[in-house]
Amino acid sequence: MSHKNIPIEERRRLRTKMIKKHNLANILTHWFNVGMWLLLLPTGIAIISSPRLGLSPVWWQELFRNMFGGAANLIKFHYTLGLIWTFVLTFNILLGFRKYFVPFAFSRMMLDKDDIEWLKIKPLQMLGLMKGKHLPPQDAYNAGQKAYMYVVILGTIGIMTSGVVMTFKEIFPPILKQIAQPVHWVSVFSIVAGLIIHVYMGAVFPEEKEAFFSMFSGKVSAWYARAHHEKWYWQKVKEELEWEDDVQKQVAEEPVHTPEGAEPAAAD
Amino acid sequence: MAEKKRYGFVIDISRCIDCRACLVACSVENQVPMNHTRIWVQDLGLQGQFPDLQRTFVPYNCMHCENPPCVDVCVSGATYKDPDNGLVLVDQEACIGCGFCVDACPYDARYLDESRGVVDKCNGCIQRVEIGQQPACVATCVGGSRMFGDLNDPNSEVSIALKNASKVERIDYEKDGHDTDPNIYFINGDVLGTSLQPRDPRYTVSEAGWKKVLVPAIFAGIGASFLVQATYFSKQLVEGEKEFEE
Repeated sequence: MSHKNIPIEERRRLRTKMIKKHNLANILTHWFNVGMWLLLLPTGIAIISSPRLGLSPVWWQELFRNMFGGAANLIKFHYTLGLIWTFVLTFNILLGFRKYFVPFAFSRMMLDKDDIEWLKIKPLQMLGLMKGKHLPPQDAYNAGQKAYMYVVILGTIGIMTSGVVMTFKEIFPPILKQIAQPVHWVSVFSIVAGLIIHVYMGAVFPEEKEAFFSMFSGKVSAWYARAHHEKWYWQKVKEELEWEDDVQKQVAEEPVHTPEGAEPAAAD
Repeated sequence: MAEKKRYGFVIDISRCIDCRACLVACSVENQVPMNHTRIWVQDLGLQGQFPDLQRTFVPYNCMHCENPPCVDVCVSGATYKDPDNGLVLVDQEACIGCGFCVDACPYDARYLDESRGVVDKCNGCIQRVEIGQQPACVATCVGGSRMFGDLNDPNSEVSIALKNASKVERIDYEKDGHDTDPNIYFINGDVLGTSLQPRDPRYTVSEAGWKKVLVPAIFAGIGASFLVQATYFSKQLVEGEKEFEE
């Protein structure tokens, strides 16, 4: 990447300058989601007990059944939390639909040409091929993150609807309850497959350390933004320059609007 | 207790008169909805040539199999084989009423209670048995056709009846290495070669597809993802990490 020949002074400036990446709504929803997944995933796996499927180990099932006092209590715990999770996420999305969700969807989730290119090169590079090739510059989220986001959104919708079907068992016909089961687990496990990478990249992988802390502070350094999300970084710089131009223009126009006879304000 | 209990039914076919008092007693005891029943009496029809005629009735209910196909398919573990007494029971609070087990049972011994959204079946009146009473159907049987007890106890009523029986038959389902090994013994009559035969367990599309396609896909996906993560993590551990990124 091009940052190899950035002068040391500039590097220092970039490292200390922070850019806002996540707003508070995103951060809170993210950690709420983390907590719910930590509670729902283990209890959910403990519920799946069909010997014909053999998906979850028997000791795990027994551990949780004993901890909660039987299968019925375990299931009640699972679906009560699940309903809270469904409600809060739906509520947050509806509440912030116009202010957060729509702009987010349009500015950060759409796949463009660079992303397609990235998706072609990156998997091959992970297998050790095409090492010399440069990855195209990336948005606030790289193409891998974007692709996973689609899996998460579709999966979440799948989990929620099928979960509601299985929870309100008196209302829905048996055929729906039968279909809901594979839908529920396939959604869960396709998210989990990506979640393993997501957690590793976010919390353990050294190059992405800033990403982890940004999920608390909401901010990343300009250095990190430039190295990992170049397209987004220059977009931000452009926005900042435009803002500065605006401010300068206002300052330049200021004397025209001062009331007559007033003392000019002391320069700061 | 030397051995575990294995509750089962012994049914003396020669003594059933098709009064169906057992159906009524069962429905009252277990509050079975009017349009359903947990137990049945099968009329095998007239047999033999005039004037040597015979008519046979076979009372039956859940076979409380040793290897129940219904337990195999139950996803929440709501249907289980009680380890203490060997009865196949349904925890209706855990049941979501998807009906996988109803399709899987070779004896059609289960039904779906749609108003409650759960599956229901004979539970051997465990609530009565635990306080030393007989199941409702057994207690009410006028002919003494139905008997219930611990098949592992050689002195129980059922074991003695089996010992003294002229003929003992079971409606066993045995196919492709799967043996249900039912715990209802029919004595003093013939049930084999009659219309009362087990069917193949039915596995619904969602259940079977889930098992054959989706489970391997899940294992492959999660396994691949874990491998990628593990590779990078071990690389990180072996090669060490730079304090600051260049």
